[in-house]
Amino acid sequence: MGSWKSHVRAKLQQRDQMSQLEERFEIRKQILDDVQSKSIGRSGVDVGKNTRLLQLQLRESEHLAEKLSQTVSDLTTVLYLKEAELQYWQSRVSHCRQEALTLAKGSNTLKATVSQLEFTAECQSKELAALRAEQKGLKQTLAQAWTEKEELLQRWMEEKREEAVRLNKYNAAQERWQHWAKQLKRHRHRDMAKEDIPIATSSWSGTTQTSPSVTQRINNTAVIQQGHSDHNHDSAAAKV
Amino acid sequence: MADDKDVLRDVWFGRIPTCFTLNQDEVTEREAEPYYLLLPRVSYLTLVTDKVKKHFLKVMKAEDVEEMWFEYEGTPLKWHYPIGVLFDLHASNTVLPWSITVHFKNFPDRDLLHCPSSSIVEAHFMSSIKEADALKHKSQVVNDMQKKDHKQLWMGLQNDKFDQFWAMNRKLMEYSTEDGGFRYIPFRIYQTMSDRPFIQKLFRPVSPDGNVHTLGDLLKEMDPTALPNDGEPKRYQVVIHGIEPLLETPLQWLSEHLSHPDNFLHICIIPTPTD
Repeated sequence: MGSWKSHVRAKLQQRDQMSQLEERFEIRKQILDDVQSKSIGRSGVDVGKNTRLLQLQLRESEHLAEKLSQTVSDLTTVLYLKEAELQYWQSRVSHCRQEALTLAKGSNTLKATVSQLEFTAECQSKELAALRAEQKGLKQTLAQAWTEKEELLQRWMEEKREEAVRLNKYNAAQERWQHWAKQLKRHRHRDMAKEDIPIATSSWSGTTQTSPSVTQRINNTAVIQQGHSDHNHDSAAAKV
Repeated sequence: MADDKDVLRDVWFGRIPTCFTLNQDEVTEREAEPYYLLLPRVSYLTLVTDKVKKHFLKVMKAEDVEEMWFEYEGTPLKWHYPIGVLFDLHASNTVLPWSITVHFKNFPDRDLLHCPSSSIVEAHFMSSIKEADALKHKSQVVNDMQKKDHKQLWMGLQNDKFDQFWAMNRKLMEYSTEDGGFRYIPFRIYQTMSDRPFIQKLFRPVSPDGNVHTLGDLLKEMDPTALPNDGEPKRYQVVIHGIEPLLETPLQWLSEHLSHPDNFLHICIIPTPTD
């Protein structure tokens, strides 16, 4: 028991003893008044009898008081025992109370930790959702880019194919032209040999002069083919 | 706990031997004898003085009788304060019995509340209990009680039945172990040397860092002058129920065990007697 508690108990008992004393004084005063009034009202002969009677009553009272004192003593012993028992239980209760307090504090701390972890989990879950959304968007963009790349590749391949066709045509035309030129040259030599007409050869340069109309035709065709090819080439590049 | 219940009993059964004398200015048919009574500390004057009234009315004419009121050495006694508080505040350290003068005329309206019947005392008492529970439990306990429970508290006080009163009052004294005490301690600090009736503020039984507040902590905050300075003689006594508890007594324990039936802890600060 704390000293402050013993202090309060002791002081309260001390305080009440004053009132009890007052009370006892009042009762004794009243009894004395009663006894005095009775004594005055009776004759001298009765006084002697009364004295003996009073002595007898006093002895009886003393005997009773002795018995009562023994009972009080027994009861006090029992009370002490009970008080000791009570103190034991009181200490147990105090111990349990302390334990409960500690547990309650621990529970509070755990609750706070759980709440904090819940908050962190919620934040992370939100972050994850945002990242997933972002990933989805990026995937879509990637897929679109792939499609565009495929389309461009297709177009480029087509362009290359057309270019190859054009080149083949041009080569075939060239080949034909060269074949015709050779034939024409051969025809001319043959004709010249037949007619014995000397070939108009520059005596000082030795250069063979072809008919200007034929040369012009060959050149024109080459220019047209070249222009056509360039034009197609440009448009393919523009498309790429 | 057995020890603590003893404290509750000692507090409840505290009595003050009192001598009531009729004021000399009252008109009487014959001389009025003084009337002696043991007054319960936790009750109210108007609740326990029916016998006093009856005693003095025997010697007075009906037309000379107005509302009865009490005075001690020139100070009108407020019936709405518990008797023990009135005694500690005005008459502690004086010779017993406490001598109170009874008046039937010139009611001091400026100092006292009228009290025509015991229902007024009941209303005042219940209002105090509700106020105290508002501080302790946000009124949850008193509001959960039924009308008959309120009546039981009042009847317990009126008929001086300790067990009847405490069977119900213990509910008002409960609190969870987790909280470590009431929300706020219902207290009132009375000072004889002050003009204001009393100090009543919000004060928790436990500090924010978990330390238990004591009577000393409360006084340090509310009235530091009441505390003794080091090396100086004590100037004031801090009295609750006629005793001076140690300043290290936990406030929560005081509130549970030394509160009056109105559930307030009434603390009187009086000058230390010089003799």
